[in-house]
Amino acid sequence: MKNLLVIAATLLLATISCPAQTITLNNDLIFGNVFPGIPKTITKYSVGSAAEFHVAGTSGSEISIQFALPTYMHGSGFNIEMIFFNTDCSIDTLASPSQTSPLFDNLNPWTTLVYRLGSAGLTLWLGGTAIPKAAQPPGSYTATIVLTVAYTGA
Amino acid sequence: MAENYSFTYSFVTSQRLHLWLKISLLVLSFLIVMAASGMAQDVAVGQATATVLATLAVSSTAALAFGNVYQGVSSTIANNNASASVFTITGAASSGIMIFMALPNYVALADGSDRMTISFSSTDASVDTLGGGNPTTMAAGSGFQNINPHNFPAAAVIGAGGTTNIYLGGKVLPTIDQTAGAYTGDIILTVAYTGN
Repeated sequence: MKNLLVIAATLLLATISCPAQTITLNNDLIFGNVFPGIPKTITKYSVGSAAEFHVAGTSGSEISIQFALPTYMHGSGFNIEMIFFNTDCSIDTLASPSQTSPLFDNLNPWTTLVYRLGSAGLTLWLGGTAIPKAAQPPGSYTATIVLTVAYTGA
Repeated sequence: MAENYSFTYSFVTSQRLHLWLKISLLVLSFLIVMAASGMAQDVAVGQATATVLATLAVSSTAALAFGNVYQGVSSTIANNNASASVFTITGAASSGIMIFMALPNYVALADGSDRMTISFSSTDASVDTLGGGNPTTMAAGSGFQNINPHNFPAAAVIGAGGTTNIYLGGKVLPTIDQTAGAYTGDIILTVAYTGN
């Protein structure tokens, strides 16, 4: 009986001492105007155009980061191919994160990334490339980028 | 006898109470663990967005028409002549374009039995970004006048109205024994966005 109470109390304390992390989307991946037939790349260093996410949580806690990346943007029944290279992601865990000179650069967004939250959390950026066809119909195209973070417990 | 019964009843009641307490604690623990694991993950959804600009379209509006020519007498059409070739390019306004012309060295009879030399000088083309489509009325400063059709300027653009015209002149040099008949040749214009 005592043991059970201790376990329950410990779990309760663990829950209380480990607040949830939250992700904030600061910026979408914005390609802007794209010419038919001309691939366009947005680098992860491109302020205001690269996707930017901020993760807040317990400083020093290790988190896993996983993207679900699209392979096409869709619009008006047509698609634009997208490419994310294995260096298209960067992360900065410093209190004043720098997009143009991040602490961890050229990361692979197709793999699960594991980093520790800094005192101000963690900021990550994502670039990408859109490849419109020469006869790509004009108009707006969009795709969804899903980012999932979770504490690893370490 | 009655005391023994009472003791047994109390013992059983106490055991059941402990069992329910244990189950309750286990359920509580499970719920806490579930809550903790649920809170330990977060998902954000961002978007990739792009706006594709108008597709380039090129058409030949008027052929380079020399009309009747005489054997042994060359004939020249200036790029601002009404008989100059006119190409029309449409696309995203003010966007940079690369222009390439594949120009023939000869025009030939339909049956291929004779051919006639055609040449293009380094001033035989004009690029009209006002998109008027009339080589005789191209305004100065509305693009590039009298330029080399073998090497169009890198700064060429689609006009602000979404149209640019190319006017092309040229020269044919019939020989003194040139076979009489209608001669034709292909002028191929290729245009692509520069991305600027």
